[in-house]
Amino acid sequence: MTQRLNYIVPTVAVGAWLAMELLAVQPGSAEEKSAATVQAESTLQSVSVSAPMVKGALPVDDPNAAVWSSATLARFPMSPQVHWPNRILEATVRDLNVRALHDGTNVAILLEYTDPTEDPDDAAAIQFMVGDKKAHFAHGQPMAQVEGGPVNIWFWKNKDGKALDMNAKGFGTLKVQTHQDVKAKGAYANGTWKVVFTRPLSTEHADEDTQIAQGGFVNIAFAVWDGKKDASGELKEKGSQKAVSSWWYFRAEAPPDYSGYYYALLAVGLALGFQFVLIRKLKKGQSA
Amino acid sequence: MGGSLLKPVILIGIVYAILKFVVPNIPGSAPLPASLIFLYLMLTTSGIVIFATLSGESKDAFWNPIQRFMTGENIGGLQVLRYGVLLLFPLMVGWQTYSSTATSDAPPSENRTIHPAPPGEYTGLSNPVPKTPDTIQQGKGFYAAFCSPCHGGNFDGKGPAARGFNPPPANFSDPTTIAMLQESYLFWRIKKGGVGLPIEGMPWKSAMPRWEVELPDEWIWKIIMGEYDGAHQAPRTWE
Repeated sequence: MTQRLNYIVPTVAVGAWLAMELLAVQPGSAEEKSAATVQAESTLQSVSVSAPMVKGALPVDDPNAAVWSSATLARFPMSPQVHWPNRILEATVRDLNVRALHDGTNVAILLEYTDPTEDPDDAAAIQFMVGDKKAHFAHGQPMAQVEGGPVNIWFWKNKDGKALDMNAKGFGTLKVQTHQDVKAKGAYANGTWKVVFTRPLSTEHADEDTQIAQGGFVNIAFAVWDGKKDASGELKEKGSQKAVSSWWYFRAEAPPDYSGYYYALLAVGLALGFQFVLIRKLKKGQSA
Repeated sequence: MGGSLLKPVILIGIVYAILKFVVPNIPGSAPLPASLIFLYLMLTTSGIVIFATLSGESKDAFWNPIQRFMTGENIGGLQVLRYGVLLLFPLMVGWQTYSSTATSDAPPSENRTIHPAPPGEYTGLSNPVPKTPDTIQQGKGFYAAFCSPCHGGNFDGKGPAARGFNPPPANFSDPTTIAMLQESYLFWRIKKGGVGLPIEGMPWKSAMPRWEVELPDEWIWKIIMGEYDGAHQAPRTWE
């Protein structure tokens, strides 16, 4: 009986192993393909902003600091805000470049966009969902069949020279928070605005502020206002008349995790042990 | 190694080639996912094993070469190959383990239903506006004013304001959009907009305005007629 088992068990094992051998190429090639697709897309348009962790101080006051180039550039297309009146059908800013960094405590996000003129009313904003409930990308507009959550808006205006930390749950509900956690600094040169927003990754007001856990994805959206005045002295873009983006993703990268290597090492050890036992059994069976 | 082991290996190779290269080229077929091919190959392998172990002789014929390969002495080049296999197998196991535990850089995948079911009160409504060249023309005028900035003057979803929106505005000339839907469905979508979608439609991502706050119903029905006519599509009917 044992003799027979000694034959059958390894037969099945070797058969399965042959199939695995043949297939080992398959998952590998599938992975390569998806990585290539992602790369092709990122040259056209990004789906997420990834903030690497940096050692040393974040360039909170310096949109031109060299360390920004260590963050991957994300690029998002912008549309005029058409969802809700008062809408506009054409906006100045058509593309937004975004980079982000964090140091484990604070996060810094750099927005960069082309604007032909520097105006006191030029403004930019970043929007996040707050809590677990989904919020509509247009200011957290109420939804008919889904209970939505609020949005957290970080707003910067050139003439104010600072950021406002705000909440909204639909157009017309914008409210400045009593506790201001966001800082912002803008710099204009050669027809390009660069604006840095900074905030602690987490705050004590989880019901109003978005909380950024390292390694996790949160939803992010952007808005830009061209504060140029037209011939009649009216602002070209103001309030709901602005360039907006859809929801995309933001992630503060987690510190490097080496546990995958340990698991792999463990698996290699187990496989070696399996082979050792198998061959020993085979040899025993042969001599018996 | 004997011919009895060569045959199963060739068989597995043929099955793999058929699944990978022949099946996707059969009209109406599609490339098989890797997990399905793996499952089929496992089934083939179990079949081979069952077949080979049916009788004592066939079992020995199948098994002896393997045993000789794994434990035999003085088998020349095969011995080198054996150590290669014994080295490669643990490495492959390790690599598979690493790639399955490595954290993904990809954001969460999204599975959005493009045409979710409408609420009951919007099913089976018929267009109350008589379909005349005049009303269609009016509808096209309203479309040009309110819809074309995103959905495009050519009804192709490529209006000047469309670029930033994800999901992109619907392309009405695509036969998988309004041609698949009834007029009452379009009435619901235009009236309630993106925020009126059920949860599987991910309403929080849609830029479609809630036109009921700005346009009378009659205009919406005319827009629907203008849309079908302009996109050279006909509404779906149940006849």
